[in-house]
Amino acid sequence: MSCAVWEERVALFAGGDLETAEAAGVERHLTGCAACSALAQELRLELDGLRQVHAEPLATEHYAAVRGRVLAELAKSPRRGLVWPWAWAAALAVAAAAVLMVVMMKPAAVPATVLPRVVAVAPPAHTRGNDRSLTVAAPKRIGVGRAGTPAHVERAALPAIEEQKPIMADAATPTPPAAAEDSPVRMVQLATDDPNVVIYWLFEEKGEER
Amino acid sequence: MKSLALAAVEAGDSPEGRDVTLEAARAGDRVAFDLLMRRHERLVLATAYRLAGNLEDAQDASQEVFLRLYRNLEKLDTGNLAAWLYRVTVNVCHDARRRRPSTVPVEDAPELAAAGDPQQSAGEAERKALLLRSLRMLSEKERAALVLRDLEGLSTAEVAGVLGSSVGTVRSQISKARLKMRDFVERYSRRRL
Repeated sequence: MSCAVWEERVALFAGGDLETAEAAGVERHLTGCAACSALAQELRLELDGLRQVHAEPLATEHYAAVRGRVLAELAKSPRRGLVWPWAWAAALAVAAAAVLMVVMMKPAAVPATVLPRVVAVAPPAHTRGNDRSLTVAAPKRIGVGRAGTPAHVERAALPAIEEQKPIMADAATPTPPAAAEDSPVRMVQLATDDPNVVIYWLFEEKGEER
Repeated sequence: MKSLALAAVEAGDSPEGRDVTLEAARAGDRVAFDLLMRRHERLVLATAYRLAGNLEDAQDASQEVFLRLYRNLEKLDTGNLAAWLYRVTVNVCHDARRRRPSTVPVEDAPELAAAGDPQQSAGEAERKALLLRSLRMLSEKERAALVLRDLEGLSTAEVAGVLGSSVGTVRSQISKARLKMRDFVERYSRRRL
């Protein structure tokens, strides 16, 4: 067997890097191989020599020089314990500045239009002259009559707007001229749940809208 | 299980004392950090010296290792500090060597050796110089494996952990490194005769 095969194992054996069984195998080979035995002996001597050379301690001033350089380098930077509070303060300042910029760049708020409060929503019941067919059946709560005429008011729920639509559609027939000429002021009286509150809705029909 | 070498590095004083020192250093106590450096300076500078081959480069590397230690104090604990320092020392030395390569190929070794003074060939000083030079004949990985195993006394598994390699790879690197060193010394000796 070529000893080249054993070289690596002999090198490990010389440094004590083989397990017991493997080391025993190398030892058996060494007893019968003078070349490998000599190699093992040389390797041991060199390793011992290398350890002796490097066993000599370095002078203390070399260590001190390194420490001095490191501490000098650290002295240029903020102390470790103060790094985080400083970073937090900086982060907070940046965040505050960002919020301030957003607030300042936001357009001035448009004053909200004060809308009148909707008291009741219901289309007026129509009474067009004598054409009673166009008259929308007055909601039970809504009395319709000419101005000054007491409206008939019944206490009931307000009709839904949707219910008015077919009626309005039916009323889409051209307004008779007589009706147009007769454009009285109408009044819708809306009752509320509060008997002390009555809403009057005055309007004038021109005839173009039905 | 830790080798005696690694355990000895970490057992410089009581575990409580080491923890307190590390905590104080984390809090920004420069005196505590100075103590931490003193505790590990032999490990760092000696390893860097063996890897770099000269004191100036070793001191530069050691400075960088301790600055990295300072920046990473939050992530470290006393239990793995020595292994971390070995790993960073090896990496810093590798980085420095890549920036400034100075490895002498093994084939050039006879020329290098021939430059020596013949009168010192039998002397102890020459033998020391020869052994020191023999480390420079190795590749970076082989040198790191050999230094950590044979000079720092780490186990093969610990060397593998430091170098981020498998145990098998480290064993191969160590055996090749020993054979190359022996080959270098033998070729130099033949040339002297």
